Amino acid sequence: MTESEINWPAALRATDSGEQAAAVAALRERLHNGLRIALNGRGDVGEAHLEDFAQESLLRVLDRLDQFQGRSKFTTWAQAIALNVAFTELRRKRWQDVSLEALLAEGGGLAEPAMIADDVLGADEDRVRLVTVLRLAIENDLTPKQRAAILGELREMPFDQIVELLGTSRSAGYKMLHDARRALKQRLQEAGITGADIQNAFNL
Amino acid sequence: MKPGEQRLTREQVGGIVKMLGLTTEREFDCGECLQHVSEFAEAQLAARPVGEVIAKVEQHLALCPECREEYEALRKILAAKIL
Repeated sequence: MTESEINWPAALRATDSGEQAAAVAALRERLHNGLRIALNGRGDVGEAHLEDFAQESLLRVLDRLDQFQGRSKFTTWAQAIALNVAFTELRRKRWQDVSLEALLAEGGGLAEPAMIADDVLGADEDRVRLVTVLRLAIENDLTPKQRAAILGELREMPFDQIVELLGTSRSAGYKMLHDARRALKQRLQEAGITGADIQNAFNL
Repeated sequence: MKPGEQRLTREQVGGIVKMLGLTTEREFDCGECLQHVSEFAEAQLAARPVGEVIAKVEQHLALCPECREEYEALRKILAAKIL
């Protein structure tokens, strides 16, 4: 049997400890090789990191075996999890020194006129009006945490770090951001600025 | 940072506005995207049309730079044909 023909979920759950150990070792090697390709060229990733990521990924995949629904190859599904593990950790390291206070303080400034210039998107009347409506909506319709989360994203802060600082879960954090986007969009629409206008303006 | 010291750039403000243009009532969050992104990546690689559920992956990737970064890395691995 070639590796591509392996029934991975069955092999990883095998009661025969030898078969299971072989499958675990083979999967670990696959994940390791995939991570090596994906992270090749990054100065912040060495062999020890790859080893750690592969091991952590393997445990995560084994923990989530029941979630695999067979809609893709098992190894593609597992590799997606491995990449999530690795990138989450790399992003966390980069931003580990940012405090909640700093994030909230920056977020509070998001509604300040000095933070978003009227003509930042262009000097024509429609774009200045769009920015004005957007800034008012950010000031009046968003909570301090929503403003902080949006600013964190603009600063390319990892989402995991944002939700950790804000003391919420990843799913609750995503809902918070989604609610913020919906509130801002509704305010633009109430001002007569439609999704089509936005898409046309930015060639979406 | 005091307000005004790091004024948002055109790209950042444009990014907010673009995100609003892409916002829909029902979206995948990052966890749902991760659950389905492998199917989406394989479909994209094979140029297969995607269904309604998987189309939500594409919409999430347009909104979430982190999931997009991981998706691009997955494409790189798939292209290497080691899986």
